Amino acid sequence: MLAASTTTLPLFLALSACAGPNPLAGPPPLSADVRGLFDAVTDEQNLIWIYKRTMASYSAMAPTLGALLAEHEAHLTQLRAMIVEPPGKTVPAAVTKKPAVPAAAATAVAQLHAAEQSASTAQLRRLGRAAAPLAQLYASIAASEATHLTALSALAARSPG
Amino acid sequence: MTATPAATPSTPQTVQPIAALQAALAAEHAAVYGYGVAGALLTGGNQQAALADWRSHEEARDTLEAMIVKLGATPVAASAAYTLPFAVTDARSARRLAAALEDGVTQGYLGVVAVSDTTLRTFGALAMQTPAKRAAAWRGTTEAFPGMAAGTT
Repeated sequence: MLAASTTTLPLFLALSACAGPNPLAGPPPLSADVRGLFDAVTDEQNLIWIYKRTMASYSAMAPTLGALLAEHEAHLTQLRAMIVEPPGKTVPAAVTKKPAVPAAAATAVAQLHAAEQSASTAQLRRLGRAAAPLAQLYASIAASEATHLTALSALAARSPG
Repeated sequence: MTATPAATPSTPQTVQPIAALQAALAAEHAAVYGYGVAGALLTGGNQQAALADWRSHEEARDTLEAMIVKLGATPVAASAAYTLPFAVTDARSARRLAAALEDGVTQGYLGVVAVSDTTLRTFGALAMQTPAKRAAAWRGTTEAFPGMAAGTT
């Protein structure tokens, strides 16, 4: 079996790998893998933010949403662990999308569903240009997010409109 | 100057497409066999779900066999029997077995994601989502890293 694990994928991505310093060259460009990781980190941060805001507004859904939130936090931890930060460079920490939490529970769940779908699709778009272990991590996270879609659909079915 | 991966010392960067597809096929064979065991111990809606999942694995098996033949290789055959990962004696253990079978198939397709061919990568990534969902349904909980080796996160 071709197994993969998050701890046996030692893909440490350096933000710079200079053959020699050139003080006039400016900051080194990021590799495609690192750019993809940065985007994936931002997507997870956005998801975590919206989950937390939704849970704060709808405490009755917290048990279900909290379990999914914990998995997104695990995704974020793993993605961040794939990057080695040299001095002066940091992995993005900002949340870039802060939608308002809808006034109806069902609509709020639908917003989470859409966010999960978007994130899962984005993970799949990163596959082609990623190193193999990183592609497997993206695929696994995308599959996790696909299971979240099912969980959110079930939650929506039992939530008041 | 460009940013590059610093090291990938213990994981191969890519795997051969045929080997990856054969591993996924072997997992599908095991699932087809295993659902026969699990289904016999389930009743009602669970048995219907097991039957539907069993048929889906047969279809997936056929798809993989066709892909492997198209690549010029002979698909691996199913074994006459498989060793179950634990004793399956009642409905509860049958549901556990179903989840374990789906985990194995998910892991098999994740192996396909390691090939360099982008089309096959995408196939593997999409194909693993269905067994990941089934595993979550049988288990009753989702997982953060479907297909990854258990206990490593």
